[in-house]
Amino acid sequence: MSADLEQVIPPLVEAAIDFILIGGKAAILLGSARVTFDTDIVYDRSKANLEKISRLLKPLSPYLRGAPPGLPFVLDVPTLRNGLNFTLTTRLGDLDLLGEVTGGGTYKQLLPRTFVVEAFGVKFRCVDLPTLIKLKRAAGRPKDLESIAELEALLEETSRQQPGN
Amino acid sequence: MKSKRYRDPVVEAYMPGVDRTLLRENLKLTCEDRARKHSRALDMVLELRRAGRAIRERNRANERRS
Repeated sequence: MSADLEQVIPPLVEAAIDFILIGGKAAILLGSARVTFDTDIVYDRSKANLEKISRLLKPLSPYLRGAPPGLPFVLDVPTLRNGLNFTLTTRLGDLDLLGEVTGGGTYKQLLPRTFVVEAFGVKFRCVDLPTLIKLKRAAGRPKDLESIAELEALLEETSRQQPGN
Repeated sequence: MKSKRYRDPVVEAYMPGVDRTLLRENLKLTCEDRARKHSRALDMVLELRRAGRAIRERNRANERRS
């Protein structure tokens, strides 16, 4: 199941969860023309935030994406605390919860490299374009090379549109 | 003087293939409109996938019958 931003983001914001949108969906908001399926967020690892994530997602049947059915997986606070990065299917769609991201670090470390997006009646943080490129490069996945090229082109187009250039 | 941003040579090789007209059109939109446009494209991809799966299943069923 894919994750539509309009379905995923407002519940996260309404639950007052501290998160930053990264990955392909962040690229979409920044102007990318590529189609992407899951939603990647970097979440704050504070106890209060883990509680909010668990409270929101627990009723939405979260399960480890690609894992065989029937595992005793419960997305509660101890699970979140003992793990770090979770690739999940939920009733809201596929959602990747990342406690830390290669090249960007934790939620708090990434925070200065974000901007506020107003969409779907809510405000949330999204990683900025230069940082998204950095994260994609740091991930070192061959499948990202084409998408990095597109993001680099976006960066050129964006700076061309800014006054003074 | 502006220094040129370093780019991986493989990424550089992909650059001419990027359709900048799509990017320029997207940059005219708000973030919300970009997300909605993506959502429509995603729906189409998922529908094509579903249709492809249905065709493959039908072909397999036909093969089993023949």
